[in-house]
Amino acid sequence: MSNTNEMMVEFSGIAQNESFARMVVAAFITRTNPTLEEVSDIKTAVSEAVTNSIIHGYEETRGKISIKAKIEGRTVFIEVKDDGKGISDIKKAMEPMYTSKPEEDRSGMGFSFMEAFMDKLVVESEDGKGTIVRMWKEIGVSKHQYE
Amino acid sequence: MDTFEISNNVMIYYLPKELDHFSADRIKRKTESVFEKNDVKYLIFDFDKTTFMDSSGIGLITGRYRKVHDEGGSVYVINVCPVIDKVLTMSGIYRIVSKKNTKEEIIEELLKGGYYE
Repeated sequence: MSNTNEMMVEFSGIAQNESFARMVVAAFITRTNPTLEEVSDIKTAVSEAVTNSIIHGYEETRGKISIKAKIEGRTVFIEVKDDGKGISDIKKAMEPMYTSKPEEDRSGMGFSFMEAFMDKLVVESEDGKGTIVRMWKEIGVSKHQYE
Repeated sequence: MDTFEISNNVMIYYLPKELDHFSADRIKRKTESVFEKNDVKYLIFDFDKTTFMDSSGIGLITGRYRKVHDEGGSVYVINVCPVIDKVLTMSGIYRIVSKKNTKEEIIEELLKGGYYE
């Protein structure tokens, strides 16, 4: 019997759907028997990616966001994709504390949080071509990553 | 809906269950309109009900910190559970915001400092 499970969901990029996105992913990963901390880590990372798509990718123009998730053994894989304006300088966007919207009280910590709360993060984007965020996390390996 | 109290330049904001971009925007607007009409020097964020937070919450707190800090005030967080504490710690926000157990602890500290009557 295969130990793999997959899901995909697509929704409008509006702020109300940020909690929906987190809940869907949290519900999907339940069968890996994660700790509360692991669930919380994954919810935070998903929330960061989806919020980025809404605020930066679509600049609140309500485009579609899709989330693919996959469980393979103890590894959770999550992909958050939008068809928004894309990121011209990924390296700069990923710098801690960098934000293109400081006037809106954005902390600039979105990508840092995704990196910190997940095991691996890969961002694929191009000017005008949308953004794909891919994240991996192994469940059941207790690891504290403060600071 | 969220509630808050103000007395003697101290505002306590009871945060919702989930502090994300959606709720942070609402709280930002609410505090902004309160700040226009009231002198708020000390701002206390009560996390008692809060079980989720992302970097939008960090943006909210640092934004409000700038406002009250300009008036010589401070920002406090209370009733922080371990999940929220992890996010706050990771962000480095404890360099500008103090964590206390209860609001009584803060009032006592303000009284001792002679800031508050």
